[in-house]
Amino acid sequence: MMNRVGAKQGRIRFQALCLALRPDLLRFAFWLCHDHALAEDVVQESMLRAWKAQDSLEDEKAVKPWFLTIVRRELARTFERKRLNTVNIDDLVALEDSSLAAGDQADLAEMRAAIFKLPEEYREPLVMQALLGHSTAEIASELHLSQSAVLTRLFRARHQLRALCGEDTNEDPQE
Amino acid sequence: MMNHEQYRRAVLANPFSTDPELEAHRTHCEDCRAFTDRVLTFEHRLVRALKVTTPNSAKILPFGTRSAARSASGGRWLALAASVAMAFVVAAGIWLTPRSSLAADVVAHMAEEPAAWNSQAPLSAGELAPVLKRANITLDPKAPSVSYANSCEFRGHVVPHLVVQSPRGPVTVLVLTHESASKARQFDEQGYRGTILPIPQHGSIAVLMREPGATAAEIDAVAAQVRSAIVWGSSAP
Repeated sequence: MMNRVGAKQGRIRFQALCLALRPDLLRFAFWLCHDHALAEDVVQESMLRAWKAQDSLEDEKAVKPWFLTIVRRELARTFERKRLNTVNIDDLVALEDSSLAAGDQADLAEMRAAIFKLPEEYREPLVMQALLGHSTAEIASELHLSQSAVLTRLFRARHQLRALCGEDTNEDPQE
Repeated sequence: MMNHEQYRRAVLANPFSTDPELEAHRTHCEDCRAFTDRVLTFEHRLVRALKVTTPNSAKILPFGTRSAARSASGGRWLALAASVAMAFVVAAGIWLTPRSSLAADVVAHMAEEPAAWNSQAPLSAGELAPVLKRANITLDPKAPSVSYANSCEFRGHVVPHLVVQSPRGPVTVLVLTHESASKARQFDEQGYRGTILPIPQHGSIAVLMREPGATAAEIDAVAAQVRSAIVWGSSAP
């Protein structure tokens, strides 16, 4: 009986975790695939996989990186299954696609367009750090890179982003 | 001792680093301190930009199948039933009460644009037209004057956010062509009173005001006036 109660409580806790993490996972997927609907599908499928594999989560404190790994794998599977439509960012900006235009906050829209212009190898660690709060070590582990390689990518990401957004980068170190 | 270039490279890689070496350099270098401030300002913009709006009730959580695959005993069936029921209870909390969550989202959106009610001056046609055109709607010339118009991201779609001036004060209108509602539903949340009004074939509109004394009848009257003022395009989304 105690086991059943414990299992039930564990499931409820797991569901609560999923609900809490869902917004950031959706954002992460969106920044990688440029598509709200696809991001939702990917996160939905990832949650199902996570539910089935929840016994493999040994440390609840590591739940966020654990989920992120699942989402990244699901994204990779999705990209493998079908060739996704490529999106020309300049066209997207010109059309003021809803993905980029955030109300009247032109500076945010500009920033979003610039983020999409970053190479994925820079964009992904940047989103993991700035949005999800991952440490350099966690990003390195997830992306199978050394920590110094991660720091280099993060530096380049911000340097390029600042330039794309018209910031004065004269005082930035040169790449 | 870290030089300026090393410091700035490290700050750009991780603006919130608490590395003592970075802090030591920052303490003694005014230029790098100013550089850090600029990077942090940029970083706050970046984080805000990354936090795109997400639908908070898009789909139910897909739980329950794990237990189904394993269930072999009556006890496990009970656990499965409890699990599935709990999943549906959780999902129902999010998904089966869309009207209340929609109202909450509408009210939450108000906080994102606090300046919307600052002006009472009517917008020019040139300022208003792009917002309406994007939603494939127009306003009847007899419509109340519009003092604010913006194309806002809401639940993954771009929607017109208007403020119209009524005798009872400013009224916010969100045209939600992607949010259907089965019937009108009034709400009173966080100081905002309003209604979600279904528009057959065109989703719904949210109409809300911040007048504490506004009665349900007054809100209904304003909502009806707004509704009748919107002219829907033939290919409205």
